[in-house]
Amino acid sequence: MSYLELLKLASTEAVVVVTALVVLAIGLTTRREATGVTVATAQGDQNVGGSSSARTNAICSFIAALGLAIAIGTALMLPRKATLFSGMLVITPLTSLFKIICMALAFFAVLLTKSEKSLRHPGEYLAILLLATVGLMLLVSSEELLMIFIGLELLGLSLYVMVAFDKTDVRSAEAGLKYFLFGSTSSAFTLFGISLIYGMSGITSLAAISEKLATVSVQPLLAVGIVMTLIGFAFKIAAAPFHLWAPDAYQGAPIPSAAFIASGSKVASFVVLGKIVLVGFAPLHGDAAWHAMVAGWSPVLAALAALSILVGNFVALAQSNLRRLLAYSAVAHAGYTLIGLVAGDREGFSAALFYTTTYAITLVGAFGVVALVRRETAGDDFSNFSGLISRSPMLAGCMSIFMLSLAGIPPLAGFFGKFYLFSVALRADAGHGLLWLVAVALFGSLISLYYYLIVLKVIFVDEPSLAIASSPDHLSPDLLQRIAVAVLAAVVLFLGLMPDALAAGLLAAMP
Amino acid sequence: MITLGDYLIVSGILFAIGFAGVMLRRNLIIILMSLELMLNAANLSLVAFSRFRVSPAGLPNYNAQVFVFFIITVAAAEVAVGLAILVALFRARQTTDVKDISELKF
Repeated sequence: MSYLELLKLASTEAVVVVTALVVLAIGLTTRREATGVTVATAQGDQNVGGSSSARTNAICSFIAALGLAIAIGTALMLPRKATLFSGMLVITPLTSLFKIICMALAFFAVLLTKSEKSLRHPGEYLAILLLATVGLMLLVSSEELLMIFIGLELLGLSLYVMVAFDKTDVRSAEAGLKYFLFGSTSSAFTLFGISLIYGMSGITSLAAISEKLATVSVQPLLAVGIVMTLIGFAFKIAAAPFHLWAPDAYQGAPIPSAAFIASGSKVASFVVLGKIVLVGFAPLHGDAAWHAMVAGWSPVLAALAALSILVGNFVALAQSNLRRLLAYSAVAHAGYTLIGLVAGDREGFSAALFYTTTYAITLVGAFGVVALVRRETAGDDFSNFSGLISRSPMLAGCMSIFMLSLAGIPPLAGFFGKFYLFSVALRADAGHGLLWLVAVALFGSLISLYYYLIVLKVIFVDEPSLAIASSPDHLSPDLLQRIAVAVLAAVVLFLGLMPDALAAGLLAAMP
Repeated sequence: MITLGDYLIVSGILFAIGFAGVMLRRNLIIILMSLELMLNAANLSLVAFSRFRVSPAGLPNYNAQVFVFFIITVAAAEVAVGLAILVALFRARQTTDVKDISELKF
């Protein structure tokens, strides 16, 4: 294994890292000039520094987007299959596909960053976002516990900073701190679990662990290790009862950070969770059927799924802030997605990944709409959205596509995702053992319809509230961001009409 | 003779102390220290497993020892990020008590 070959196989990550460094350097140099200007002149010239900061933001976003586009190009040129260092870096069609998906989600997060006025250091912000993207790619493409842990930490530490980034908003730091405390506690749990699994199997590569587990009997220490590892991931995907950070982080963070946490971080966490349970812990599947529970990881995940669906949907009913509502609905959606992993075979995994991918695309779009509305009305409560249809029919239309897709209305992507998941779960067990879980999920979707429709009622039926009506009404033309939102809405519609485009690709890419 | 079980018990106790500290203490600095304790509990158990899993050739299993070096580095990075967030919050609120940090609520 020469370094040149290593560089070739890790070229995607390398391109993104280099882009992050370039963006960081540009951010640092231009920032210094800008502060020089503001120091030299009096307060009246504040807007000089402001416009220079906006220019820096535009340059940095452009370079970050360009770097991601190049990296997607290199990901397309990766070989079909390769394994480095006994699974530390694995290239399969599945990992290449999800690297591309993660980078595309990061790309849209960068587009959201462009219009975020409150970010005073865009270079640093984008560099951290790109490093988080590298973390996503490491997570997706590794089948070894050490690398998975490093990827988790790289992602986690970047996200904590991204959430706490807005120094002008006191809620941002608070959300960052809560996210940090929950996150590092849960990663300590994962780490301790990993150490026990290592102790029981003597190895850290997932395939070898699975071989080892098939031969030994289940000891209590091993069970503790597996449950602790799962706790860490349950936190990452915001499954109840480990979801408490999510509403605060979604509400307090700068919008691109919230969108990135809701999309990229979630997709990668589901990919790696699926790999760990389906590859690493395969011999300990257990059975989550109602009458025939067998100890293993699948009853644990089934309990998390049911709890997440109920808690997420019921608490979402009481929300009056759109970002908090999205956060609680994210908890419920994590529950739906877990059903696919509980069902457990190739098909279940691909159903879960299809669902989480469409969900991520939908949420990035929804946060894009929130960002545009927030810029004009300086808030994201329901009252800020009232009468959006008269202010911007296009945004209102996109938002209704996103909300209806989350609710699972045909012909949108969310409907097919749910249909695929539930049918896989029903077929997974000869005696329809997972029927109880599917029933809980259907009940949950029914409840969720109510609060998604409330959002649409606010947008379409309610009169604009006075405070907003008196403010300069028309949303300013931020063309790029509008195009991005429209593209995402079109993708959601397309994946609903032709789900095979992604679903067949996923199923074919499954190992 | 100290056995593997003894090390694991100590490591379990350390982890429990750390977790209790995170859950029960109100001062953010102490919570950060407790987090470190949890990570180090994992380090201890990894090293113990490595030492007691001797290969047929008589060598310890070095995987875990490499793992521990990575964890030490990651722990340092985690403290740096944690303290940075803490400073940002302290500037806004002049407090390090978690009870006072309740702007965002249900």
